[in-house]
Amino acid sequence: MRYDRPMRKLIAVVEDEPALRENYAAALARQGYQVKLYANRASAMQAFSTHLPDLAIIDITLEDEAEGGFDLCRELRALSAEIPIIFLTARDSELDAVSGLRLGADDFLTKDVSLPHLAARVAALFRRIDALRRPDDAAQVLRRGALSIDGEKMQTSWNGAAVTLSLTEFWIVHALARHPGHVKNRQQLMDAANVVLDDNTITSHVKRVRRKFLELDPTFDAIQTVYGMGYRWVE
Amino acid sequence: MSIRLQLLLIALTTLLLPWAGCQYARELESALRASQENSLQSAAQTIANALSARATSVFGEPGAAPRFDAAQGDIYFLPLEHEPLLDGYREDWDPVMDPTALPTRTGLAARLLSGATQRFVFLYLEVDDATVDPEPVEPHPDDRFDRVNLQIQGPDGTLQSYFFATGAPGLIAAQSLVQGDEGDSHVVMESRIQAYWQQTSHGYRLETRIPRSLLGSRLWLQAVDAASGRRAGGSIEEYPAGGRLFFTTAGLNDLLATFLSPGTRVTVVDINALKLGVAGSLRRANALAVEAAGASGYRRFIVGDLSQWPLEVTANDRLPNASVQRALAGHTATEWLRGASIGDPLLMAAAPIRVDTRIHGAVVLEQAGDQLLDLRERALANLFNFTLLATALAALIAVSVATWISVRIGRLQHAADTAVNNDGSIRLAMPESARGDEIGALARGFERLLGRLQEHTLYLRTLGAKLSHELRTPLTIVRSSLDNLESEGVRADQNGYLARAREGVLRLQSILSALGAAARVEESIRHSERVNIDLAALLESAVAGYRLGFPDARFELQTPAGECFMSAAPDLIVQMLDKLIENAVDFCSVSGTISVRLLRTETQYQVAVGNDGPPIPSAMLDRLFESLFEHRQGGDDQPHFGLGLYIVRLIAEFHGGRAVAANRADGGGPVFTVTFPMV
Repeated sequence: MRYDRPMRKLIAVVEDEPALRENYAAALARQGYQVKLYANRASAMQAFSTHLPDLAIIDITLEDEAEGGFDLCRELRALSAEIPIIFLTARDSELDAVSGLRLGADDFLTKDVSLPHLAARVAALFRRIDALRRPDDAAQVLRRGALSIDGEKMQTSWNGAAVTLSLTEFWIVHALARHPGHVKNRQQLMDAANVVLDDNTITSHVKRVRRKFLELDPTFDAIQTVYGMGYRWVE
Repeated sequence: MSIRLQLLLIALTTLLLPWAGCQYARELESALRASQENSLQSAAQTIANALSARATSVFGEPGAAPRFDAAQGDIYFLPLEHEPLLDGYREDWDPVMDPTALPTRTGLAARLLSGATQRFVFLYLEVDDATVDPEPVEPHPDDRFDRVNLQIQGPDGTLQSYFFATGAPGLIAAQSLVQGDEGDSHVVMESRIQAYWQQTSHGYRLETRIPRSLLGSRLWLQAVDAASGRRAGGSIEEYPAGGRLFFTTAGLNDLLATFLSPGTRVTVVDINALKLGVAGSLRRANALAVEAAGASGYRRFIVGDLSQWPLEVTANDRLPNASVQRALAGHTATEWLRGASIGDPLLMAAAPIRVDTRIHGAVVLEQAGDQLLDLRERALANLFNFTLLATALAALIAVSVATWISVRIGRLQHAADTAVNNDGSIRLAMPESARGDEIGALARGFERLLGRLQEHTLYLRTLGAKLSHELRTPLTIVRSSLDNLESEGVRADQNGYLARAREGVLRLQSILSALGAAARVEESIRHSERVNIDLAALLESAVAGYRLGFPDARFELQTPAGECFMSAAPDLIVQMLDKLIENAVDFCSVSGTISVRLLRTETQYQVAVGNDGPPIPSAMLDRLFESLFEHRQGGDDQPHFGLGLYIVRLIAEFHGGRAVAANRADGGGPVFTVTFPMV
């Protein structure tokens, strides 16, 4: 089984800032990953075309290409539908986040994220890949009415239909649905998502989550805003 | 001084125009008058020269005329057009004249009028005598009765004495006392000398007619009051050298008429200034005088003060004017006289008549000055009126232009004053900027200035977001390095440095986050969707949250009964409330009260958040909602960039509302009010 294969996972970091690149590489290497570093889209793509990494961490702005990361993501996704892709960028606009996730990225992180948090995400994504490759294991599934959450595979479905959530979004939904009726404030949601975000970003995450559920079920109303406090899941 | 006033004053300088016109008119006037004087004077001189060659026809018998002395009883006879009736009245005398006083030494007042025709001389005497003593029926030389004595030196040089007296008024004849052979005397009637005696309330009047055939060169007339012995007039005994008679020269009028030019009157006077002959008449322009009455207001401006001129003398017997006196002294002279009515000036020129180097009299030529003056006056009045009109027009135009300019400047000033709105936004378009003149250039200058200001403001406003973005990468480098350092493990004694470095990084991060907050809000506003929400319920929910979040503060919430639905982005509204509440908590006194009030009016909702902190200086109230405006004095850990209330404003404006700050009238602290339209 490939799961038991002792081979170290290969993570590609595409980042044009050398200091950051090295820091990420050091942190990830410390976690036991093999890290390959690329400064621009061309060199990264050239390497990917011969050998796919197990996970890619991509900055959006790459040297002189303002949206080089998006292009790279698109090209990489064309090479492989499964490879986890994390955007790690200084750009924090909602538009960027939406664009990045729409291109098939699994997570969109701003550079505020700490290295341990980043490592946690990387681990989570690998765990999901592994879980997806294992046969179904219903024991980890959390059910809340129409919602079912597979904690291992980090998959969410509503009335049986899969809901495509980024890692951050998945953790937010997971934190809310685990204790229905309980109000989770923004800080709690951030903690659950292993991320440091400002209030606005949490709000837009929740908004995006709602929209994704609403696309499947226009009557979706399970995530309630408790103004001044936070959000709660109602069944 | 406003521009309008300045230009009005400048326009008033056009009043110099009529003034200058006036000066010119005066110059012209005096020049024309001088030429009129010259021409009249030379005409007078010409006549005088012509007359001196015919001295006999002018002065009668050759030889020097005697000096006229009324005090000696000398009498001048005016030529009469018609013989008056002997009736004791002088009203039928032609021309009508006023009697002159007779000389008297004893105080009897009597006045004499004397006139002559071809055949007769007429004398009219008024005597003031309260008690008239009548002549007795049988007169006696010793009788005392009031009488008028008449002594005539006949053509042959003999003296005849007569007297007039009567017992009853009416037509009488002169009487003379004839010495009888026996030494007695008797009264003889001289029927050729007739008179009319008339009684008056204060005396009597006597009108007498004496044939010129009886008359030599002298005549004495004396009124005697019998009761008091007072006398008026004289007798040969009293004035042996007096009683001379002066007549106009026969035929002189016709002679003079040959020298006349139209509109002039020529008079010849003797050495006594007594009139010897007159011809011609002054054409007084009555039609013009009527018009001149309207223009006479200007005459003062044009010819100066006519009242300085001597009055025209209308005496029938003589011309006593100064110019005549000068002529009789041997000089030609001219003189302007004031007519009886204003607007009736008269020019008089006099020239001496010399016979064999001796001055015998003078020619006086008179011409009405009014025609020329009136014409001039009307022209000048027109000039004056037109220039006044032009001045008024110029002033009106100047004031209009000034008003227009000051209105434009005022508009520009208003636009400049209000170009920067309270919310910090800048309106670039200036009025007048399309104009090509200096004000337009000024407006365009303003526009450029405001454009630069706007760029600068925009730069400042985006500076936070830019900084936040640009600093993020180096900050991430520092933090990730710290993470790595921590993971690699440091010596226990180095942990403190690590913690401090991390703390500094965190603080930097929160600063960057605050700096970029407004930009993120602007971004999220762009992606906001509005839904129908109950504002009251939202407020209740939010305030419940704040009570948990700020356990030290006391919250008071007031909402109207019923639901308050509006179309809004609830997240933004909550974010706005967050900022308002954070602001209120910061300024609130310790354990103070924060009041949240929702007010529903006909058309709008008002959300008012007040705290009991110190009032805000009123100069700052308007600027509080500007980007990067900060008025707090520091003293807390959180970085503040004056973006909180700016975010409130952004969100209020996104909902079509507005945010204002005010201090409560009772000094109970500031209140921040956001107003939303209901629709």
